[in-house]
Amino acid sequence: MRLSVLTHFVSFSRCRDLRWLALLLAPLASGAEMTWIENGRAGFVVADIKYVLAGDAEKTGACQQGMTRNVEEIFTSTPQGKRRTGETDDAYAKRLQQAGTQLSTAPNGQNLCMNPEAGAPDLNFRTARFTNTAIDGIDIDGVESRVDAPTPRGCPHRDSIGKHGERGIDNQYSRVVGCMRAYQPTGQANGFAVEMLTGSWGILLSLEGVDDIRNDDSIEVGIFANADPIQLSPSRSPLAYATYAIDQDIRFRAKTKGRIKDGVLTTEPVNMLFHSVTNGLRFERPLQHARVQATISKDGSLSGYLAGYTPVEAMYDYQFGYRSGKNAKGELGPLGLRLGTGNGAARVLGYTCPGVYFALYEHADGDPDQNGRCTSISTQYSFSAIPAFVVDAETKSVNDKLEGKGDRREK
Amino acid sequence: MRNETVLRMRCVAAMSVLIVLSGCGDSIREPEAVGGPAVMRRLTESQYRDTIASIFGADVAIPARFERGLRAEGLIAVGTSEAGMSPFSIEQYDAAALGVAAAIVSEKGRDKFVPCKPHTDMAFDAACAKRFVEVYGLRLFRRPLTSEESQRFVSMAQAGQQRLGDFYAGLEVTLAGMMVSAEFLLRIERTKPETDPSELRELDAWSKATRLSFFLTNAAPDAELLRAAGAGELDSKKGLRRHVDRLIGSPLFKPAVRAFFADMLQFDKFGDLAKDSVVYPAFSSTVAADAQEQTLRTITDLLIEQQGDYRDLFTTRQANLTRALGIVYRVPVPTRNGWEKSEFSVNRHRVGIQAHVAFLSLYSHPGRSSATLRGKAIREVFLCQEVPDPPPNVDFSAVQETANSKMPTARDRLEVHRTQPACAGCHKIMDPLGLTLENYDGLGTYRTVENETVIDASGSLDGIDFKTPEGLGQALHDHPETPRCLVERMYRYAVGRDTEMEERSYMDYLTHSFATHGFRVPELMRTIALSENFFAISAQGEKSEHEQVALRTGEGL
Repeated sequence: MRLSVLTHFVSFSRCRDLRWLALLLAPLASGAEMTWIENGRAGFVVADIKYVLAGDAEKTGACQQGMTRNVEEIFTSTPQGKRRTGETDDAYAKRLQQAGTQLSTAPNGQNLCMNPEAGAPDLNFRTARFTNTAIDGIDIDGVESRVDAPTPRGCPHRDSIGKHGERGIDNQYSRVVGCMRAYQPTGQANGFAVEMLTGSWGILLSLEGVDDIRNDDSIEVGIFANADPIQLSPSRSPLAYATYAIDQDIRFRAKTKGRIKDGVLTTEPVNMLFHSVTNGLRFERPLQHARVQATISKDGSLSGYLAGYTPVEAMYDYQFGYRSGKNAKGELGPLGLRLGTGNGAARVLGYTCPGVYFALYEHADGDPDQNGRCTSISTQYSFSAIPAFVVDAETKSVNDKLEGKGDRREK
Repeated sequence: MRNETVLRMRCVAAMSVLIVLSGCGDSIREPEAVGGPAVMRRLTESQYRDTIASIFGADVAIPARFERGLRAEGLIAVGTSEAGMSPFSIEQYDAAALGVAAAIVSEKGRDKFVPCKPHTDMAFDAACAKRFVEVYGLRLFRRPLTSEESQRFVSMAQAGQQRLGDFYAGLEVTLAGMMVSAEFLLRIERTKPETDPSELRELDAWSKATRLSFFLTNAAPDAELLRAAGAGELDSKKGLRRHVDRLIGSPLFKPAVRAFFADMLQFDKFGDLAKDSVVYPAFSSTVAADAQEQTLRTITDLLIEQQGDYRDLFTTRQANLTRALGIVYRVPVPTRNGWEKSEFSVNRHRVGIQAHVAFLSLYSHPGRSSATLRGKAIREVFLCQEVPDPPPNVDFSAVQETANSKMPTARDRLEVHRTQPACAGCHKIMDPLGLTLENYDGLGTYRTVENETVIDASGSLDGIDFKTPEGLGQALHDHPETPRCLVERMYRYAVGRDTEMEERSYMDYLTHSFATHGFRVPELMRTIALSENFFAISAQGEKSEHEQVALRTGEGL
């Protein structure tokens, strides 16, 4: 058994004898009120996370040209899509369904959610156009960007301004989804953390080398995918001080430098990778050149922003099209499930797959390719985290035996 | 004040006895046996389950919910000789018997459990039925059946076969009948017939085997012990020693030790334990189950695996943890599923089983800790000292005002509460212990402040002052009543009754022997099991069997 322990981040080599644990735990203990920071180490598990968005489009006026529509809404807005005199409910529903399928199919016969590049930009797709709307977040690229000039490492775009006047906030993703009904404050699209609370995925953070939790110029920060399900109370609230193992796949382990000033943690950019699960389909959620900026509270909770650039292809996959969803064994998921999830989400959440796909590229502001086309889009998450013991230990589900599986970690 | 004086006197007396006995050297002999009354004890739930498992295997399901046991003298084991059986209880025994019997004679089970094959399934095979009845009658009744009993159960099998048209259905009826018999559900102790009723008597071989087996394995005698009883081996010192050592060395000894301590620590109360999920969100049924298991694992690790000193249970830092417990203790537990053995570091402030979540959460209120409940439990559970119940008209308002800024800590609130004269006396002996455990909240998580006020965890135990929970652990470790209390509890558990006044010398002997053997619990159990007093029945102590059964079951079973 591999028994690497971090409390909050202690790496340890492979051993079979549990007595090592006593040695590991011995220097880590102290009074409980400050157990979240011991020996310069602290660990956290993300308890809530969501995209940072602009708010209600009706109030911000960001969608003057209307809201984005799905295939059915597009069809019903045409003369052919109007209900005919005497047409029964069933007949009209069937005609809408057929038209939707037609609009979701490329000229070459491919499904457009599975192959959005086979389609064309959707003229009915609307993106948010705001100039004075306050959106909190982080200045990821470190410059105040302009729409008429490229940034040193990206494409031209307009930065947002924070609620307290902070300049240079990069959040192009909020413009792409800003006119989708499902991304309004009462919409259902920003609730992806539900899957986190069911234990499908999670995010861990660790701090090391902390001399002063209020002010420290140099600390080590780890951001990892959680290999264990989050622990909840009977009323379904995440519990503090639970133990979690970091993902054994090193691609899901990010380490960077950080600093704490007046209780606010800020990290250097680093590429991160997390898991994402929708409808039982597993995806990877990458965040490149990502930073954390979060306030550390006395009780050990952490709240703030996690922001970086999401590759457009990955963003489209895990959030909109679900093309590459895998099953628990790491194999490509059933085609019917992937098709149904992508097309179903587009209809329920109110967009077309090509519409969002091309809009993501249109607003992409990071990682330009050799042709100068940006391939990633600035994305801001707000999150809160609570104290946790972050350990580096191989963990397995009790269900592995039932499924006849052995080691499930990705090699 | 009076209680405190009595306690001090008891301590002095106990120490004096130890000193006097110590002066006699290690060769102290068991005083002349005086015994006590024979008792009729109902099987506890764990004994019932362990017995079925030992006879038929652990995978035989027992489809019943058992009635809660009555606690007497601090033990359900003693209560089993005092409580009657309710109609609900008998219904549940019936359901359990029918379920077990159906499994045993099922097509899947009969090849394994029925020791013979009938000529045909449809006709009655008297010889096979008799064999079945005698094999399982011996194991279930813990003695050979009389010829009348054997004939009765064979006839029952025959009647069942005739009614239901199947030989195995008849066996099912008769097995279920044996399992609802008083001879199975009650441990009826009998003395040797040849002794004079007016003199001290000795249990007969079958009752000896039963006492031994339930004490040392928590289950009915196995085939070897029953054979030995039949052969008279338990009547000789040598034979008795051989079987006592065999049982102590068996895998079933650990469940027996667990059963005793679960009873002593009153873990049956976990069935009613509730916590306010807003105040203690980490509490769950998993935490409750793991907390009990943690303490029992610590006990068996220290007392059996390490052959350790019983008193070290109050100072041990050994930590058996699961992830659910790790949340409460605020320590990392890398193992995702299962148990991890480690040790609480010194600055974790966690020594002794009295600082385990099991003890701390059990003796607290749903939404707050309780210095009083914890102090009372320490007195009663670990020191065998009785603390009177509160008077009926007591005003608890002061201690319940946990949000009152003028009384931020439990010490402040109890200070006010103790101004009531009716409360002061008892609180004086409970609170100094419990207040030291105020460093743990109502679930058992360590804390140093309450309502933003630093907790004063100082306290005292019968003249020994301390300032931390660790100090309390050491004081319990060093208290002369601690081992004596265990000895008394253990003996009462073994015989299912309170000790008799005439048994004081015997208790002193056991206490001295316990000390001489380094306070090792297996050795204490061995000493009890090998003593003459363990099997002795006092002259006036035995009611007739009919009287006893009638008392327990009303009409009788």
